[in-house]
Amino acid sequence: MKHDYEISVGPIHPALKEPIMLRVTLEGEEIVDVDVIASQNHRGIEWIGMNRNNVIQSLYLAERICGICNFCHPSNLVMAIEEIADIEPPERAQYIRVIQGELERIHSHLLWAGVAAHELGFDTLLHYVWMVREKVMDVLEEVNGNRVTKAIIMYGGVRRDITERHVPKIRKMISYYREAFGKLAELFLEDDTIKKRTRNIGVLKKKDAIKLAAAGPTARASGVKKDVRQDFPYFAYPDFDIHAITPDELIGYTIGDVYDRIVVRLLEVKQSLEIIEEALNEMPSGEIIYEKKLVKLMAKIKNSEGEAVARYEAPRGEDIHYVMLKKGYEPLYSWKVRAPTYINILSWRPMLLGYQIADIPIIAASIDPCLSCTNRFAVVKNGEEKIMSGEYFHKLSVEKTRRIK
Amino acid sequence: MNIEETKQKFEEAGYETWITERIAGVRNRVVRKTLWIRVDKKKIRNAMQFFKNFAEQYPHFSIISCTDLGNVVELNYHFALGYGGRLEEFVITFKISLQKNDLRIDSIADIFPAIIYSEREIKEMMGIDVINIPDGRHMFLTKDFPSGIYPWRRDETGVKETNKLYERWKDEA
Repeated sequence: MKHDYEISVGPIHPALKEPIMLRVTLEGEEIVDVDVIASQNHRGIEWIGMNRNNVIQSLYLAERICGICNFCHPSNLVMAIEEIADIEPPERAQYIRVIQGELERIHSHLLWAGVAAHELGFDTLLHYVWMVREKVMDVLEEVNGNRVTKAIIMYGGVRRDITERHVPKIRKMISYYREAFGKLAELFLEDDTIKKRTRNIGVLKKKDAIKLAAAGPTARASGVKKDVRQDFPYFAYPDFDIHAITPDELIGYTIGDVYDRIVVRLLEVKQSLEIIEEALNEMPSGEIIYEKKLVKLMAKIKNSEGEAVARYEAPRGEDIHYVMLKKGYEPLYSWKVRAPTYINILSWRPMLLGYQIADIPIIAASIDPCLSCTNRFAVVKNGEEKIMSGEYFHKLSVEKTRRIK
Repeated sequence: MNIEETKQKFEEAGYETWITERIAGVRNRVVRKTLWIRVDKKKIRNAMQFFKNFAEQYPHFSIISCTDLGNVVELNYHFALGYGGRLEEFVITFKISLQKNDLRIDSIADIFPAIIYSEREIKEMMGIDVINIPDGRHMFLTKDFPSGIYPWRRDETGVKETNKLYERWKDEA
């Protein structure tokens, strides 16, 4: 006799870190159906950008769409606005943007590698990788004054220069990672346990990846040679010889499993180091911002009208913003943000079907999902669901303060 | 197939098209191009099928963006075509206008399966009736979100109470 079971992974689950829900149907240990339920929270960021904030405030808001990709989202917004308002950033700024983007890719990929190790139960490797990651975080702090939300990009350029003082530290970081790369590759790619848990697990075939519009390392690990930096370059990227990395470069063939996603990300760290090094060597001198006075800049943007689509190769995949400006209207008239996870969660279904419950964490983590933070949660009592909002908690908190006063 | 050939193909089929350009790069200056195509809402399925049939490569769907322009709601179906080669890709956007009193559009999820999340999103966020949508549940809003309120609208059905908490603090101060 056959029994079907349905289990829910999420809305909040230790394996997923962020709020999303997978409803998985099982036959024994085998996954036979998957439903992704994304509606666990919505922060209304686009609404704020379209109704409350002015364009400069929205830039800092865009930075907070995602803590890890805190350079990608503002970059996209900047690119769209620069296109509409016809702002040409100085050459040096375009190079600094490339360096910032690649520093972010290194830290994001290493963060992911640590999480992947943790999902496999290999916590010593998690701590080792995150220790190695600290080097790039130190450089980010040195260059930007902050490790995470860096507030570095501005319409028409960047806010802080990379000076002579910073260059030796960045070069030191590059040689540190070149040395560490061999050990990381050995730990991730030659370890028997990791191989057993990731080889032929969570396979996404090339044709599925194309059909489901997968982006970034998820698509490239399935053999789709797609990288915005190569296909539709922005900033100073046309100056660099960038190609989309697929796993066959290292191992000769592509399967499209979790292992291949590790290979692609490791190789991309190496690629980023090369880009940063070349950018430091070739960086032109000069101004870093088109207009220093924010009021003047705002006036120019406010008097512009039009629409634009901006695309950016974020560490997790292609990031897209659509922006429309109306003359005299201070906020963005229209703003649509598409983060890579939005499209990559479609690939979870083909990746999970046919595998086991124990594979869910590593398969789910293999696309490097990035969801947003929480502002409400659901309580299910006697089968009835009740949603509690941030406002409700605030009320409870105020009541408690009054009670204990 | 490059952007000019694609443009010509759509023009021959009777669509209004235009190209916008933007320069990138410092030492190596390149032109990034976007193709815009205006499509009548009745022809959306024809246009998408035509696009899929003649494209040499499976088109990469990006997102549907949606703007409330007063009496009209404008939909943009963003795609990219030509990945894999250096500087060979371009963005292609299909523009469709819907009258506010008839916000209906055919689903194209059977032609491009990746579009389903976006169709669910425009349904809940803008109140667009997507005809024959294979899965009409909420995507990002919770299932208890009040009906008849659409966060992306700029009319009386838009969100008004988002500021409630903030406004209350202001009153108390």
